[in-house]
Amino acid sequence: MTLLKEFILPRLLQWLLVIFIGVTITFLIPRVSPVNPIDQALSRLTAFQNLSPEATIALRASIEDLYGLQGSIFEQYIAFWKRILRGDLGPSFTSFPMMVNDIIRKSIGWTIGLLGTCVVIAWLLGLILGTLASYYRNRWWSRFLENSLITVYPIPYYILAFVLLMLFAYYFPIFPLVGGGRGTPGLTWTYIRTVIQHATLPALSIIIGATAFRFIMAKALTSGEIASDYVQYAELAALPKRKIIFSYIMRNTMLPQVTDLGLSLGAIFEGALITEVVFSYPGIGSSLYNAIISADYNMIMGITLLSIVGIATASLLVDLSYPFFDPRVRYR
Amino acid sequence: MRQQPSSELLRVENLTKIFQIRHGFSTREFRAVDDAAFTLTAAKPEIFTIAGESGSGKTTLARMVLGMEQPSSGILQYKGRNIADLSLGEKRAWFFKEVQPVFQDPFAAFSPLKKIDHYLYETVHNYKMAKKSETDDYVNEVLQQVGLTLAEVRGRYPNELSGGQAQRMAVARALLTNPSLIVADEPVSMLDASLRMSVVNMFRDLKEQQQVSILYITHDLATAYYFADRIAVMLRGWIVEEGPVEKVLGSPLHPYTQNLKESIPQADPDHAWSSEVDLAILDTDEYTRKGCRYAGRCPHVMDVCRHTEPPNVTAQGRTVKCFLYTEEHAADAAPVQSAVDSSNH
Repeated sequence: MTLLKEFILPRLLQWLLVIFIGVTITFLIPRVSPVNPIDQALSRLTAFQNLSPEATIALRASIEDLYGLQGSIFEQYIAFWKRILRGDLGPSFTSFPMMVNDIIRKSIGWTIGLLGTCVVIAWLLGLILGTLASYYRNRWWSRFLENSLITVYPIPYYILAFVLLMLFAYYFPIFPLVGGGRGTPGLTWTYIRTVIQHATLPALSIIIGATAFRFIMAKALTSGEIASDYVQYAELAALPKRKIIFSYIMRNTMLPQVTDLGLSLGAIFEGALITEVVFSYPGIGSSLYNAIISADYNMIMGITLLSIVGIATASLLVDLSYPFFDPRVRYR
Repeated sequence: MRQQPSSELLRVENLTKIFQIRHGFSTREFRAVDDAAFTLTAAKPEIFTIAGESGSGKTTLARMVLGMEQPSSGILQYKGRNIADLSLGEKRAWFFKEVQPVFQDPFAAFSPLKKIDHYLYETVHNYKMAKKSETDDYVNEVLQQVGLTLAEVRGRYPNELSGGQAQRMAVARALLTNPSLIVADEPVSMLDASLRMSVVNMFRDLKEQQQVSILYITHDLATAYYFADRIAVMLRGWIVEEGPVEKVLGSPLHPYTQNLKESIPQADPDHAWSSEVDLAILDTDEYTRKGCRYAGRCPHVMDVCRHTEPPNVTAQGRTVKCFLYTEEHAADAAPVQSAVDSSNH
């Protein structure tokens, strides 16, 4: 009982508070933006026709109603919460009358598939390579690995992505240029193969940078561990190298790494904006990009809410999992 | 390779370790350990202290003895075999079992994420010190040598131990492989005074009952005086005075040893802490100095000290590296011993 009351409950409350503040800010920001979505919608609807002033006013009223922009800002805020708690993110302004929920549902799978795989692969690769390279820091391969990853790391992501795209989709057309998959969606091998083909380049572009980052982090953490007395003792006790590397060194660098993995996984829900734009990948980043350039508030808010909930939940889970990784953290 | 397993445990002769320091494009070398020499005999275990201020090279010397650092030149033999020549396989199979360290920080000795007995079992299995079924008994036996029991520590994490328990565990860890030599680098400097005494006594018991020789590295002359058999005082890489501890610390000959001894605060209100303690200037300046490295701080400095390295002189039952005790210079020098005595007592 004390476990629930003193460890889990405070963290749950914190989680709720973060989401509450996040939602409130998400609500406020578009409303202080200079672009008026109603004027935009009106001008779009009335661009090729003449409406009488009365008809325009009536149209404006119905659009305000539809967009939830009626009444004082406080009333709007209450209505906003009511909708969100029902899980209704409203209609998209630009792809009206598509609902934001539907658009997100369609693109989230692509993003989770791509980014989830990339984050996990890059995390494992960077962690293992970084630890090994740090432990065997005088070997040629560890120097090679370190130098090449440190060279790659500072290259801006969009340049790396474009280089990959030019190389492997244009000069050597091994991979398709754009899109997420070809053919009829389904669990057929041909379709899955096109999905993998389409995802390879975007995935590669993300994995290279993320692995380099993780590698550098793992190397820094590991070099601290290697110098520690207990690793020296383990060496002097002639414990097997495998044991020293994995169970003494890597295990003790895991805490920050696990935190980082959790937060990266939570951040998936905001999508990989640049990746998806560069590779025209049909994920949530593309949707966000389109929403931003066309002032589609409901869409922006929907995706923002999703990423707020995603990151808050991820950090809650990371927090709750600490005691499994570090015996010094007690359920207090 | 000289085979003298019976007589010598550890033989150090002309041992030198040179480090390169880089200043921009030029490199300067300094001798962290310079021409060190001493011998521990196998037949009679003893506690040999290496004392000196920080930056005197004592830890570098310890690391070389442990095989963690390669000597630049000189002889460093353990049981008649050159430590530097051992292959990694031989080190792991034999040498690491024979020579074990105890470092300064007992809480750093165990991985904070593992239960403390985990490491003990791992080491015992790894070196096959006991049969699987007898591991508990063996570990318990080793723990009893340091005044602990298995029941006390089983299943606990390092942060749950007290400072004294942790340092005892660190020593027990070293004893697991049944070593002949323990290199203890400042093992008690992080413990409070009462614990310090109990750990120091434990080392003495180990020497007497388990026949383990101990290379005790410290800056703390009080504990050295209390339990060491012999002492070597290091200054900037040199061993400046070496001999039985009651002689070297009882009536120090080298001006540096005298200064060190004076710098020990005493719990006596009539005996004010000498304010004349000279603090070391920049390490590397003294390391690269011509002549005697103590010349800049020495109250008895002579002209010869500034340009010629002093020889090792045998005087009053010890070796001392100072011109004051060479025949040709003894006459020039002021009566050192009495000067110190009058200021000290």
